[in-house]
Amino acid sequence: MRLNFRRFDFVLLVATLMLMVYGVAMVYSATLGVSGYEEYAARQVIYALIGLGLMLLIAAFDYRLLTSFQWIFYAVIVAALGAVTVIGQVRGGAAGWFDAGIVFIQPAELSKILFAVVFAQYLASRHDELNKPQWVLGALGLILLPVGLVYMQPDLGNAIVLLVIGAVMLFVADLPWGYIVGAVLASALALPLIYANLQGYMKQRIDIFLNPASDPDASFNIAQALISIGNGGLLGQGFTQGSQSQLHFLRVRYADFIFSVIAEELGFLGAVVLIVLLLVVLWRLITIADQARDLFGRLLVAGVIALVMFQMVVSIGMNLGVLPVTGITLPFISYGGSSLLTLMIGIGLAESVAMRNRKIEFD
Amino acid sequence: MLARPLPPSLRLAILRGLMLLIAVTFVARLWHIQFVQGQGLQARADENRFRLVEVRGQRGVMYDRNGELLMRNRPSFDIVVIPSNLPDDEDEAYAILQELDKIIVASESNLPLHLEDTQPVTATVAAGAGVGQQGRPQFRERLSVDEAIIKVNNALKGGAYRPIVFAGRVTSETAFAVAEKSYLLPGVELSITPVREYLTGALTSQLLGFMGPIPEIYKDDYVAEGYRAEDQVGLAGLELTFEKALRGVDGRRNIEVDVNGREVRTVGDIFPSAPGNNLVLTIDARLQALMEDALKKGLDAAKTEIGVAIAMNPKTGEVLGLVSLPTYNNNLFARGITADEYQALIDDKRLPLLNHAISALYPPGSVFKIVAASGALQEGIIDENTRLGDSFDGRVDGIVYVDNRFFPDDARYAQPFYCWIHTYGTGHYRINVREALAVSCDVFFYQIAGGYRKTFEGLGIDKLIEYTRIFGFGEPTGIDLPGENPGLVPSPRWKRLIYAETWSAGDTYNMSIGQGALLTTPMQVLNATVAIANGGTLYRPQLVRQVVDTAGDVVEEFSPEAIRPLPVDSAYVSVVREGMWSAVNSANGTAKNLTVPGVVVAGKTGTAEFYDPEIPLLKNNRLPTHAWFTAFAPYDDPEIALVVFVFNGGEGSATALPVAQDILRGYFDLKNARNAPLAPAAAVTSTLAITSTNTLPGLEALITTTVPLSDTSGGGN
Repeated sequence: MRLNFRRFDFVLLVATLMLMVYGVAMVYSATLGVSGYEEYAARQVIYALIGLGLMLLIAAFDYRLLTSFQWIFYAVIVAALGAVTVIGQVRGGAAGWFDAGIVFIQPAELSKILFAVVFAQYLASRHDELNKPQWVLGALGLILLPVGLVYMQPDLGNAIVLLVIGAVMLFVADLPWGYIVGAVLASALALPLIYANLQGYMKQRIDIFLNPASDPDASFNIAQALISIGNGGLLGQGFTQGSQSQLHFLRVRYADFIFSVIAEELGFLGAVVLIVLLLVVLWRLITIADQARDLFGRLLVAGVIALVMFQMVVSIGMNLGVLPVTGITLPFISYGGSSLLTLMIGIGLAESVAMRNRKIEFD
Repeated sequence: MLARPLPPSLRLAILRGLMLLIAVTFVARLWHIQFVQGQGLQARADENRFRLVEVRGQRGVMYDRNGELLMRNRPSFDIVVIPSNLPDDEDEAYAILQELDKIIVASESNLPLHLEDTQPVTATVAAGAGVGQQGRPQFRERLSVDEAIIKVNNALKGGAYRPIVFAGRVTSETAFAVAEKSYLLPGVELSITPVREYLTGALTSQLLGFMGPIPEIYKDDYVAEGYRAEDQVGLAGLELTFEKALRGVDGRRNIEVDVNGREVRTVGDIFPSAPGNNLVLTIDARLQALMEDALKKGLDAAKTEIGVAIAMNPKTGEVLGLVSLPTYNNNLFARGITADEYQALIDDKRLPLLNHAISALYPPGSVFKIVAASGALQEGIIDENTRLGDSFDGRVDGIVYVDNRFFPDDARYAQPFYCWIHTYGTGHYRINVREALAVSCDVFFYQIAGGYRKTFEGLGIDKLIEYTRIFGFGEPTGIDLPGENPGLVPSPRWKRLIYAETWSAGDTYNMSIGQGALLTTPMQVLNATVAIANGGTLYRPQLVRQVVDTAGDVVEEFSPEAIRPLPVDSAYVSVVREGMWSAVNSANGTAKNLTVPGVVVAGKTGTAEFYDPEIPLLKNNRLPTHAWFTAFAPYDDPEIALVVFVFNGGEGSATALPVAQDILRGYFDLKNARNAPLAPAAAVTSTLAITSTNTLPGLEALITTTVPLSDTSGGGN
């Protein structure tokens, strides 16, 4: 098959690249002068380069080839998540890591993209049976197995991400409104039940979000994030000059709270530029999905959209104090190899879809 | 496979709209935080990063008259517990304190446990010890874990942020051991306080004194003057007297800190701290050392342990050296004294904490005769040629009799009074006042003070008391040291009140030779001697020449302060001076053994009987005696006057005189070596300018407390 980069979405590529450069710069600032973190920015550069290569490679392949591997992928997801729950190393409170030499690989991250592939094919191949309950039940089962495994790690954040990916894909797959309304009502009713079954630290985070005064120590991070953002003003304190981040009042600056670092050091303008760049990425992804040649491609991109959009909303929302604290990272910006590689694979898939869209070509 | 054309998706359009909505919401929220709440949050960010800290103003130090540094400031370490920072759970807190205790004991097993708060320090001992103020010194000790927990629990009811000293004055090794394990010890902190290091130690302890916590009863007064309750202040000696001059002014500085409270940089001085002023003392450290050696030698020779030597410039009242033995080492107090060490000092019968030179009272004996002589001459009782003595009754045996007041004509009831020479079976016969001073004839002084039968009218007790007081006895000399004892000048009224007895002629006889109830401090004796030496001016003894700032500029210069000119004609003072010259320089003078090469010395011996139930009587039931010697030199133009006192030292000429000789020889050797009078002031200040930088690096930056920057609680969410 001949490669055709004429329909390659260069706007998407450029916006992604800018986000990654932005991310490396902010990881550099957030870890500046902290012993033990000297190599974070450099490592992030390497992840970004690997991610870029991976993206181009994946874009070159026809995404439709993936349809053949649907069940293999699903088996891999379930096996990996199951294995990591059992034997994975305990790191950062969650047993979500495989120690693959130097780099720690988080199966939960990669499973998101594989799950999108699997689920897109499931939905696309049964598109005509859209309103049959057994079809919807099957879809639910397909979602809930990996979600359950991730939750048991325990990793509430990524479990929700998986759930949201599935939900958005169902939504884009034109699930009848009746089901959607029903699902929303059902979840609303089930909420107290879910809350009651949440693990300790998850409950605590929600409690603190709902009532910050309940634990002054734990709400410290949220308060410091708000102070950092407020301290930024229009133009910020200057790159590497934020007092809140450089004096370490802000915790987990290179990941969960990196948005606050941006808002403090680069101000309102820096934060808006970030949001606009993410909007451009999402805008282009939605356009690609809209123009996809087939439903599988559209749904696959919808999964990527869900991934980027949900993480962006939750991460920024948490920094702005409108959503509870979760371990979810800011896409393309936060430090983390697994997360960045997953995102770049997603972008690669989207580019693959873009290059084979439904516009008629006249060679 | 040819797929159907895929129509544009409504659902994707909805997603696009949702995305834009969320983005707009976020930007609006961002706007709100950064611009509506911005100022309040910025203030909170500043509150996070800035701390106002107190910066200790360095306490001034002291130099001797030649610019030799006598003390330094150095950091000392206390391990404190901040109750509010300990875990709330008492078991956890207990475990932490146990861990802390283990670390401290492992490093410093000899750190004593804290005793009960009521040390048996009676007010009289403390005051008599020259401590001057009732207070506990800084103890080197640690709390037991149980005691600490009780204190922590009490503090949690109020004042939970105030540090509790768990282990006071630990070694730097212990401090570092605790600091290393600080991650195991939340709520435990190291408190660094500047303390003194007295370079001359025991040699100058009685003069310099020491510092310690503010005594409880004075806490309010000190706090009213801007001290903090936990500050250290002078408790004794010049540290106490010159507390105000020495005290540094604490400043406040704005610093930037990180989340752990570590200082990142200094932002600015709000009020700069200012170091205290330095003192230039009148004493000469080398002379002081020489005096101590001489006195120790004298005490050893006399097999006694208590003694005093003071040297003064007779023209100014400047104290050149002051030694009181036995003494203590004030570094014990500076580094933190253990309860055992303190108890030992207090229990010591020889009262090492007492400055015997100014706080202890002794009968002056014959060195007092200069007073009686001056009074008799001035009042016209005698002239310089009047001859009195023991031969009025036809016998030269060193005995005179005082008639019984009820049977004045019956010799059987007359009371005998002896001259010291009586034990040699003879008397001094009739002599004039110069000779009487030279040979220290007791009979002569009995007679000029109390008269002799109907033959001779004496000065009388009222006049004798008047002259005694004129010479400064019975009142404090006003020396710059706390705890001075005014002494006792007895009087008929006093005797009636205390003993319900009438003053007798014998009492006047006794007082004339410095015996009886008359009690003086060695400093008073020296002061009286100086007044004769300088031709008739009683000076306030001074220990400080100058108060200088750290740049070496003189802030205050002390000039000689005359208490009073003696109302004694200078011609009469000269007669008394000549008598003191004869004591040293005539063939039968009591101090004829004294020689200082190339220098003419005048002096007066004293051998004062005393009664002490703990000291056995001598052979023939004679009372034991203190040895005294006073001197000044050179005779023509005196620049040094001395008193030497040896407790239970026997004869003044045998015991005190050699000490004075050693001191005088040493003094003139020192002077000749330098070939100039002692230390011109200009030379001193130039030395100071250099040595004033002689402080420990970084000590002024020691931070002990932080206070919130300001009340900026607005803003936020």
